[in-house]
Amino acid sequence: MSDHDHQHPHAEIVHAERPGYYDIMETAVRELLIEKHLFGPEEIRRQIEVLDSRTPALGAKVVARAWIDPEFRSRLLADGRAGCEELGITFYDDTQLIVLENTDAVHNLIVCTLCSCYPRPVLGLPPDWYKLKAYRSRAVYEPRAVLAEFGTHIPDDVEVRVSDSTAIVRYLVLPKRPDGTEHYSEEQLAALVTRDAMIGVVPVTIGSGQ
Amino acid sequence: MTETKHLLNRLPNDIGGLPADPIQRTEHELEPWEKRCHALADVLDFHKIINTEEKRRGVEALGAEMVGKLSYYERWIAAFANILFQKAILTPGELARKMDEVGARWELDNAERTS
Repeated sequence: MSDHDHQHPHAEIVHAERPGYYDIMETAVRELLIEKHLFGPEEIRRQIEVLDSRTPALGAKVVARAWIDPEFRSRLLADGRAGCEELGITFYDDTQLIVLENTDAVHNLIVCTLCSCYPRPVLGLPPDWYKLKAYRSRAVYEPRAVLAEFGTHIPDDVEVRVSDSTAIVRYLVLPKRPDGTEHYSEEQLAALVTRDAMIGVVPVTIGSGQ
Repeated sequence: MTETKHLLNRLPNDIGGLPADPIQRTEHELEPWEKRCHALADVLDFHKIINTEEKRRGVEALGAEMVGKLSYYERWIAAFANILFQKAILTPGELARKMDEVGARWELDNAERTS
């Protein structure tokens, strides 16, 4: 992307560097499948737009609504996907969503030990660390040590529950509403909710937010 | 022969519970081809050509060395190519010729850009 205005009409030069081997492989696979009419070129373009439209702001909206509307919260905890769909968040894949509520007694953390399954329709794409070995290996057997590396210290009398995602079942953490936010509007609440809080590695605090 | 038992017990993706280093909180913006690769994965899933679990197993079938050395989306596109060969949707020769064509097309475009 160019950040200045071009005075001349020709297409901007995005990169003069030769595309790498895997970049070329992706283009070749895609073009062959399009030539074979397995899907149309506009489907890839449209899906890139869908991916770009999914950000943690969607999940934050769900969390804020759950904090202010107890009936919505109950429906969301009973069926995460249906709850999100109520707020107009479409699921572009066949995944189910389970929303895990943090309380004074339980702190939830999500991981995908086998790969990188993640609630993409509501949070967008996962951060790199979520996909790397250190987090995937350790979250399940020493979650408190992992949380401490994110600066999160869970008291010993609070149970830590780790949920391991699969190809078809994804999780979203419903963080605790911070104290002192009783007078906040729904939008102000949503602004406090970060991606990492919905993965469960940090709490929501009055100072947090995107 | 028990020194090889762990190779059977744990395939390359199965790393939950293994010792590992401290978390490095790395993040990067996807490169354009990585984002296209992700969109391709979704479209392949929508059309029931390759689903998420087939993709995961396809990555695992690359073997420990490739899983360790290729980046995340490099593993995906390599797995897609192999799965498409297995399903007889593409042939290796066809893909090799197309990759040559894509590379040559870039060279030609680049020559025009720089001339």
